[in-house]
Amino acid sequence: MTIQNRDKFLDHLAERLGQPRHQLATHPYQQLNDLPQQTLSDKTPAELLALARKNSEALPVTFYEVAPVELPQLLTDYVTDKGGGPLLLPTTSHFADYQLTDWQKSIAADQTVNYWLPDADRATNLKAAEIANIGISFADFLLAESGTVTVSTNPGQGRALHFLPIHYLSIVPRSRIVARSTQAVAWYEKEQAAGCLDSSAIHFITGPSNSGDIEMQLVTGVHGPLDVTYVVVDD
Amino acid sequence: MGLSTSTLPFKERIAAAAKDKFAHASIAKAQDTQYTKRENARAELGNWQDWRKLGQSIRQHVIQYLPDYLEEFSDNVEKRGGNVFFAQTTDEANDFILNVIKQQQGHHVVKSKSMVTAELDLDKKLQALPDVSILETDLAEFILQEDDWDEPSHIVFPAIHKDRNQVHTIFKKLGYEGDNDPEHMARFARKYMRERFLEADVGITGCNFAIADSGIINLDTNEGNADLADSIPKAQIVVMGMERLVPSMKEAEIMDNMLARSAVGQKLTTYVTFEGQQTPGETDGPENFYVVVLDNNRSKALGTEFQEILQCIRCGACLNVCPVYRQIGGHGYGSLYPGPVGAVLSPILGGYEQFGELPFASSLCAACTETCPVLIPLHNLLIKHREVETDRLNMMHGFTDFQMKVVGKGTSSPFMFKMALRFKHFGLSPWTHQKPVTATNFFEYNNSMITKGPGMVGGWTDVRDLPVPPKHRDDFRVWFKHHKKQGGDAK
Ligand code: SF4
Repeated sequence: MTIQNRDKFLDHLAERLGQPRHQLATHPYQQLNDLPQQTLSDKTPAELLALARKNSEALPVTFYEVAPVELPQLLTDYVTDKGGGPLLLPTTSHFADYQLTDWQKSIAADQTVNYWLPDADRATNLKAAEIANIGISFADFLLAESGTVTVSTNPGQGRALHFLPIHYLSIVPRSRIVARSTQAVAWYEKEQAAGCLDSSAIHFITGPSNSGDIEMQLVTGVHGPLDVTYVVVDD
Repeated sequence: MGLSTSTLPFKERIAAAAKDKFAHASIAKAQDTQYTKRENARAELGNWQDWRKLGQSIRQHVIQYLPDYLEEFSDNVEKRGGNVFFAQTTDEANDFILNVIKQQQGHHVVKSKSMVTAELDLDKKLQALPDVSILETDLAEFILQEDDWDEPSHIVFPAIHKDRNQVHTIFKKLGYEGDNDPEHMARFARKYMRERFLEADVGITGCNFAIADSGIINLDTNEGNADLADSIPKAQIVVMGMERLVPSMKEAEIMDNMLARSAVGQKLTTYVTFEGQQTPGETDGPENFYVVVLDNNRSKALGTEFQEILQCIRCGACLNVCPVYRQIGGHGYGSLYPGPVGAVLSPILGGYEQFGELPFASSLCAACTETCPVLIPLHNLLIKHREVETDRLNMMHGFTDFQMKVVGKGTSSPFMFKMALRFKHFGLSPWTHQKPVTATNFFEYNNSMITKGPGMVGGWTDVRDLPVPPKHRDDFRVWFKHHKKQGGDAK
């Protein structure tokens, strides 16, 4: 934990700028206009859902809307469709919240299921992610404007859970569909300021990994998951 | 490599670039494709001009109070348990990075795309380390690495000058046995790189924006390679230009939206990541997090008429609209930073002696200024460079003074700017002749090509016809709309 060469470096910049350091307290940045907050602010929840679907499917993302009671069957069908395990799941109370504890038991009877474990070491969790055919996680938000899910890292859900599996499914409650990244960032900042969120990584994921680096032809799955599915659960 | 990507004189670089027909065609195709995507993405967002003002205000504020933002950022990195090294020069930065790798006992280094590490010529330094392997993991950078470290030619699409057959030949050397379909080749690259990712002990990433109030960084990619580089290795070294700050996540989010729309015509890049030193209890991510903040002459722009160039967010839009970039490609500039942004930035970072020709590699058509998401007056800065070179270094006289004064004054209002464009056509007429116009030479504007140029401009008009600035009624946007309406293929 060190900072090296700072004062000389910053004094030089201040000298070039022709003003003393430590001005920010009296000159904070003031947002010039409220476009980020205003954009799509007139949309109803139903319109945001429709927009989220349209923009997600364009990525392309497979998009489902289900009632809570339909969720276990959908997940089982998804696992079968993608060729089965190994699965990688987060350690989280969300399974109980969505009444998926029975599903967890039943899927584990049929498939290899690994969990990202808070008390496992780095190599163990990364190995589970490396061999995973399917990764499933719970998103904090779905952004209607861009078809983006957002997730934050915690001891039960590491960063690599979202990137190493071949297929990735994200579950999000309908009430967590917001207009755009503005609302999600405002929430993360508020949670962090209140001490309710202590995460080293927040990811905004907009569909499958892709690249246009060879002749600008878009190909999917260069590094991250080859395909992505969002499941919006009615709450 | 470093900042300079060629040892050839300007004239020879241009001659070589002019011969590369594939590169020329692919740049034209990329510019046209990106034009549609970018303009649609901006139009869909709406109020684009007000978004630009917002973006400009954020970046200008950061640059004006840069020492304070850097202090706040480094304090917060330290609070999270990370380290920050302020490097005045590339040598200082390289020494620090190599030392960290040694301390970490790193043997397998993975890198995600970073212009600043290219500025440091870091790959070459890493290659010289015994028992250390290095892998560029952005697909384009990987292709360049495996082609004997070929030079990038675009700041967003570094391998834009290579076609699928060239990539196929490169991959065959790595054991690839499939065809030249980009999808198949990308799958091969995925498998090849994944194996190396899993053994990586040090990840080196760039930084789109550093968040001052929380000590984390913001990375934007479509492939997800930066996310693997910051998840799997135990140590992460972030290398950033000193100007890449934003006050908080709130402003980063605004810039991410503007960057994605401007760079690739997307609403957001596939992966927008905010990350830093691992939090206690987490099991992946960097246990050891280092940030290298590089000056390398950026500070020379502070407090001068060139300060605004530090607002740049490296979206590449100015390259994608530039008629000169279209003609000479990235390699013609001989700088890691090509196109209009490079023509302004390179002489600041590397000096006029080495990059003094670049401000003259412009038709001053102002398409760059018009597209820049953070309102950098690029063509005016090019004129200012010419003034500096002309006045202070006394390198040339006459024509440039004349043209600069007209354009410099003329661009102060839309009406005057239009008049200036008219006047420039008038002013250039002695050097022009007529050629038939086609879709591909549209950028050579109005059938007019400068075939003889005065002073420094003459160096490259000898080998490649210099596009005359567009008449105000013939700008690319007008032409493109008209051409599309007629069902034309924008090539
Ligand atoms: S100068 Fe402006 S348009 Fe060019 S890369 Fe920088 S931000 Fe983009």
